[in-house]
Amino acid sequence: MTNPSSDQEETMTLEGVVERSPLGMGTWSIVCPEQTVEIFQAQPEDILQEGLRVRVTGKTRPDVMTLAMIGPVFEVDHFQILE
Amino acid sequence: MKRLFWFALFLAAILWAIGSYPGLSNEGEFDSIILNFKDDVDVAQIEQQVASLSGFSPQLNSSFSDINHVYVLEGDRQLIKQLKQSDLKQYTQAIEPNYIYQALEVPNDPDYAKQWNLKAINMEQAWSRSKGEGVTVAVIDTGVSPVKDLADTAFVPGYDFVNDKEDAADDNGHGTHVAGTVAQSTNNNYGVAGVAYKAKLMPLKVLSAFGGGTVSDIADAIRFAADQGADVINMSLGGGGRSQVMEEAIAYAHDKGVVIVAAAGNENRNSASFPARYDHVIAVSALDSDGARAPYSNFGAGVNISAPGGSTQSGNGQGILQETVDPRTGDGVFRALQGTSMASPHVAGVAALIRASGVSDPDRVAQILYESAHGIEHDELNQFGAGYLDAEAAVKLAQRGQWPFHLFFRWLWQTAFFKLRLWFDASAVPVIPKLLMIGVAYSLAVLVGSYLPNPWPGLFHGGLILGSAGLFLLRGLYIFDLPQWPLRLLGSSIPEWGTAAQANPVLNPITASVLAPLLLLAFLLSHPSLKWYAIGSALGVGACLTVSAVLDPECLWIGSGTWARVYLLVNAALSVLLAYLSLQSEANQA
Repeated sequence: MTNPSSDQEETMTLEGVVERSPLGMGTWSIVCPEQTVEIFQAQPEDILQEGLRVRVTGKTRPDVMTLAMIGPVFEVDHFQILE
Repeated sequence: MKRLFWFALFLAAILWAIGSYPGLSNEGEFDSIILNFKDDVDVAQIEQQVASLSGFSPQLNSSFSDINHVYVLEGDRQLIKQLKQSDLKQYTQAIEPNYIYQALEVPNDPDYAKQWNLKAINMEQAWSRSKGEGVTVAVIDTGVSPVKDLADTAFVPGYDFVNDKEDAADDNGHGTHVAGTVAQSTNNNYGVAGVAYKAKLMPLKVLSAFGGGTVSDIADAIRFAADQGADVINMSLGGGGRSQVMEEAIAYAHDKGVVIVAAAGNENRNSASFPARYDHVIAVSALDSDGARAPYSNFGAGVNISAPGGSTQSGNGQGILQETVDPRTGDGVFRALQGTSMASPHVAGVAALIRASGVSDPDRVAQILYESAHGIEHDELNQFGAGYLDAEAAVKLAQRGQWPFHLFFRWLWQTAFFKLRLWFDASAVPVIPKLLMIGVAYSLAVLVGSYLPNPWPGLFHGGLILGSAGLFLLRGLYIFDLPQWPLRLLGSSIPEWGTAAQANPVLNPITASVLAPLLLLAFLLSHPSLKWYAIGSALGVGACLTVSAVLDPECLWIGSGTWARVYLLVNAALSVLLAYLSLQSEANQA
């Protein structure tokens, strides 16, 4: 498997609610007010809880396609659980 | 006098255009006629009438037909005409063609009855003509595992690009499900059916167990499929940005004659995702079991055709049922899934049937898919592309083997693809009504021509066109990733402004009235040049309302009946009258 570098993508912070998307075999997403992102490789496992409010820092992965196709793929570097 | 002649000629042209507007005139085949006698006609009378037709030897249709008095006799369209003009007419409820229906091929898979999606695309009729023999479909996905209901399906060697190995087994369940829609073993007394079940599958794993994969692996898989003899590629995946590597791989496969089909994406947004939006890729949006766009499906720019993708919101019965693997146990399991991922393999399967029918050029396969699709009227947001996938019509068209030029041009016109910035969907542009509106507007202008300066001012032309039709070609134009409503608004005439932004083809009686011309004239009539725009608009609005009253009078709150026609015609007459009076007063002042 080739894994092109994604270092050129800027780090960004998103705030939203973790949800299980029912598309295809299902995937994990963060539903933010302005967009929905798909969590890259369902990592980290600690945030994979339906309804969890989180602030995540990471980057989008334009080099990745998925079967769920629900929005940009977001690779989480750090996260903070809100409330 | 001369002017009257031209007006009469134009009216004749309008009537001809309306008369030849494509309607429900598709005619089936028949070689016999049904006579259905009225229930209150007594048996003696029926027997007497039947005896009078002894030359045509009418027969009771079946032993059950006696009660309903249904007879069948040999004959053609000419005989139907004669019978309808004879005395027989008064005793019958119906004298009509006995259309021939084709034999259906119903598979014996026990859960086939749950596959509403296959009936929706007329699979049974298509199977009687082709099952995809000799065609290879590459499934670029999470891999394919040999579950029991793929035991009779042929495979060719594939590859696992995620783990770099030859066995492309599925550790997610998505790819096996998608492969099932393409070619689930069918007529094997087990499980469910697949679209092109005699086709061979080439499993190519590019997505990991988590369902994601890199553009570079997917591009490698596309080239692999093209080099190893795949005829059709299905990609139920998407996302990311534009990639030159991917675009080149797609062009490479297309040049090698491969038909490439991809899911439009599940973001419920106006634009297909990559790779569906690339040139040479057939982008598929998803339908639910009622034929509506599934709530998650992308639409608009880039969408070429629609197929069942299901919606499990209201229960699994509305999803797409296939056998796949349970990723936790590795065992086979029947699952109802939803997504444009599920819609895409329906189209890939039908593309395989078309290939098996002897059509090899990928552009021609796409043409057949679009031409044969069941077109949807008033698809203002391009939710369905060329329409609903229709396997039976596609295979029939493929086997007809004739390529009339007008069909090719119509296809080109309907799907012209301006690379990746702009998209044009000609099916959203009602060309004939719009040309009629402009024609009527100019005819009205000719009638009042003696009051107009010579040559006609440019603003007068502008008023005629914007009032009657708008810049109507813009209605079909999309710019990727931008909302389409501003273009739709510009592409609509003044009477259509009330509903244009919402993509509602129904007229709003507030804007579809004399009100707009009245306001324009009130404000602009004193202006030396803008007055011509206002007068032109009034004539244009008159033309638009007249044509709408004749062809499609549906208005909000009023409906589409006589009242709507009357309302539109009265307002049309008032608009023209306003223009006429304004011109007359202008002429008097001069």
